[in-house]
Amino acid sequence: MIEVSSLTKKYGEIHAIEALSFSVKKGEVVGFLGPNGAGKSTTMKIITGYMAPTSGYARVSGYDVFEDPLEVKKRIGYLPETPPLYNDMYVQDYLRYVAQLKGVEKSKLTSSVDMALEKTNLTEVRHRLIQNLSKGFRQRVGIAQALVSDPEVLILDEPTVGLDPKQVSEIRDLIKELRGKHTIILSTHILPEVQAVCERIIIINKGKIVAEDSLQNLSALKSGAQKINLRIKNPQDDLVRVLSGLKGVMKVYSGATRNNWTLDTEKQDEVIESIAKEVMIRGYGLLEISSAKADLEDVFLKLTYGEETKEVVHG
Amino acid sequence: MDKVSAIFQKELRGFLINPNFFMVCGLCTVIMSWIYPIQLNIFAQELQNYVYQTQIPKQQLNIHYAVFLRHLSYLNLMLILVVPALSMRLFSEERKMRTFDLLLTSPVTSAQIVIGKYLALMVAILVIIGLAFLYPAFTSIFAKVNWLILGIAFLGIFLVSAVYAGMNLFCSSLTESAIVSYVMAVIFNVAIWFVGIGGEIVDSPLARKIFEHISLSQHLSSLVEGTIRTGTLVFFATLVFLFGFLSERVVESSRWR
Repeated sequence: MIEVSSLTKKYGEIHAIEALSFSVKKGEVVGFLGPNGAGKSTTMKIITGYMAPTSGYARVSGYDVFEDPLEVKKRIGYLPETPPLYNDMYVQDYLRYVAQLKGVEKSKLTSSVDMALEKTNLTEVRHRLIQNLSKGFRQRVGIAQALVSDPEVLILDEPTVGLDPKQVSEIRDLIKELRGKHTIILSTHILPEVQAVCERIIIINKGKIVAEDSLQNLSALKSGAQKINLRIKNPQDDLVRVLSGLKGVMKVYSGATRNNWTLDTEKQDEVIESIAKEVMIRGYGLLEISSAKADLEDVFLKLTYGEETKEVVHG
Repeated sequence: MDKVSAIFQKELRGFLINPNFFMVCGLCTVIMSWIYPIQLNIFAQELQNYVYQTQIPKQQLNIHYAVFLRHLSYLNLMLILVVPALSMRLFSEERKMRTFDLLLTSPVTSAQIVIGKYLALMVAILVIIGLAFLYPAFTSIFAKVNWLILGIAFLGIFLVSAVYAGMNLFCSSLTESAIVSYVMAVIFNVAIWFVGIGGEIVDSPLARKIFEHISLSQHLSSLVEGTIRTGTLVFFATLVFLFGFLSERVVESSRWR
């Protein structure tokens, strides 16, 4: 469905993206993950035919985005970072205009506008001016705008920015609902979002793909190690030294307070046991000990920033 | 064609639901309603004086020259300032509000975008010219009006404003700021009247001819007197096409820049 090959975009001397290659199958939901400025938006803009790559190519349904931009644009619904809204239009008129631009047939205009309004729960505000809508509603109008032509491919650049938690979960449900019918690429730097809706994840950093795999496989990247959360009552100065001296403990991080600690350890039950024992003997006052699953966040941070983000107390 | 009309309708609606457009129209009528009766009055007095003195040039005794053409020249002055006000937001605002993303990711060509916007702008200008036409039209109640010549004179102003519209749309496509676009557009509109002035300083007859041909006032002056020349029509069409083409290139350039 979408095929991207050695895509490069330079802004002057700066490489926004460099030799990006990936492909997305029909009906798949792919999460585009990366820190700010990683090149997510640039890649998406190129796929939509909005801008041309410096080299390499991108194809949607077999059409090259630069050679046949009109064919590509017919098949794509795009929500940019800032929803492209005309403040002086009514929601309904706006969606109708977008549908006309996207080439929806005249007879189907009304029904596609109704469909988009319904899917994004905007029916109650259809007769309101866009400039009077709250940020959450505006974002939803943006999503409705991408949906209105019922495109094969949906490209959503940070679709849940500015929404409240209830709306976020609504949008996630909507994306889940669209799965299968549409091919969806969504970019975000919010990890739970990807975990909630995406089947496959592409992590991109500084314009390069650093990982591309299914969620399970990526989470398993850190297997062999585990994280232990520790909460104690009386921390003492020798705590770090004592704990990191234990067999199997790799690193000790300080938590939010002096009472919370996180440990990177080898994945063995004995390690937990020995930590617990040591804490008891030293009289630190054990309150809680639990093993935290190595989650996507760790993978993400490891891949994009290396390990330098968390302050290492002792190694 | 559907897409051109979608853009055209949207932009036209943008003019019509925007109070600014009506304010501009209202202010224009205030100015015209102030000046036009004064012109008419002066003309009436001159006609009375003619009975007593015979040295007054004949042209001043023709209502077409003495009243209507002056009316048109004031209208032209207003259009120089008003057309940029109407055109400034057409592209600048799209860039600023990021709605340009929508147009550029929709299956429409740059030419369709430019044509749709240009046509909407021309309709808005036509409204103002239509308002100006009401004054000579109502004069016909108590004076004999040569409708054909009057119509051709208004056609001349319409063609000139079509050139303004083209240039000003181009200015709007260049910048994100509506103010910058406005200032640039006014400068363009004023400057185009001075291109023909080059004819005064060149010696070679060929160069002078060229300057005469590209002089806007030369072409307009024949139209306002009621003469339609093919060359004139071609000249105006060329200018409109030129700036339409330039706008289209600017819109297209955002794809590869």
